[in-house]
Amino acid sequence: MFAWVWRAVRRTPSASRLVSTVTEKQPAVRGAFALDRGRLAQFGEYIGAVLPRFVQHVGLTHTGELEVCVHPSGIIPTLFFLQNHSNCQFHSLIDITAVDVPSRVYRFELVYNIMSLRYNTRLRVKSYADELTPVESLNSVYSAANWYEREIWDMFGVFFANHPDLRRILTDYGFEGHPFRKDFPLSGYVEVRYDDEMKRVVAEPLELTQEFRKFDLQSPWETFPRHRTPLADQAAENEREEGGKV
Amino acid sequence: MAAIKKTTGLVGLAVAQNPHERLKILYNKILTVLEIIPKEAAYRKFTAQLVGERLQSLHTEPDLEKLEKKINCGQLEEVIQQAEAELFLARKMVEWKPWELLVGTAPANQWKWPV
Repeated sequence: MFAWVWRAVRRTPSASRLVSTVTEKQPAVRGAFALDRGRLAQFGEYIGAVLPRFVQHVGLTHTGELEVCVHPSGIIPTLFFLQNHSNCQFHSLIDITAVDVPSRVYRFELVYNIMSLRYNTRLRVKSYADELTPVESLNSVYSAANWYEREIWDMFGVFFANHPDLRRILTDYGFEGHPFRKDFPLSGYVEVRYDDEMKRVVAEPLELTQEFRKFDLQSPWETFPRHRTPLADQAAENEREEGGKV
Repeated sequence: MAAIKKTTGLVGLAVAQNPHERLKILYNKILTVLEIIPKEAAYRKFTAQLVGERLQSLHTEPDLEKLEKKINCGQLEEVIQQAEAELFLARKMVEWKPWELLVGTAPANQWKWPV
């Protein structure tokens, strides 16, 4: 009986086997030196120099991503140039998105992410649009743009002219409204349920079991009464207290 | 005698029969299109420089493998594809005229982040 206990104890690995003997010289993440911001900035200037008619702003983000901001009429020329010019060769469209900022005149900011396999670079082209102004579809340049533009039409309501098939892609078939807009409520306007009388699914105005809770962080009522004093003054208060006790 | 390449290794891209001739034709076509663009345009300057360099290496280097290394932009079939794309682009640039002044400025806070 004691033999198998002894063997079980012997099987646990010793500490030396858990520690690696080889020291790793390569960092596990890309270091700051790996990204050449100088060359990326130069490339940004190059694009700005070749397309002064459309490019309004070129910049590097703090994470080292190059962004080119263009006038809406320049979306197709800029992206066609970036795809076909020998010094660019951005043949891969990664993503198209929109950002809704209702306070702006042109509330939707369109974002096109592209990538060059030849030169191992990524680039972002940004433009802007209204609820009513149509934007030229990118389908003639990148066929991957098809569904991305359908999604932006469905979620934001930005119309793409000359798109081969612009219809809803994510929302339900009779759905009204553009859900990703900032003025569209979180739980929407309608809810669906199966109606036994009509023997089908019906859409009715919203009736949630729990009321929508909003946490007002700017409220005049104190959220944390114990933390009324800031830290520096609290140290002074503690000293005074200790002085009193002693 | 140079070894004939059997395949490019890329799907749908056949081995070019006479890359020197094809590239010369394409580059000369690009240069004729660039003549239409005004001289001060940055696109014309940079593209003419690039095409001139590649034509130069075409004329001086008869061997295909050494030419590939000299151009240093992938296989010659890919270089031909790039030249075709550049020609297509040059013709479109004549239409779009991107060297002119800015077509329109954005409203005041359009690009301001954070909002």
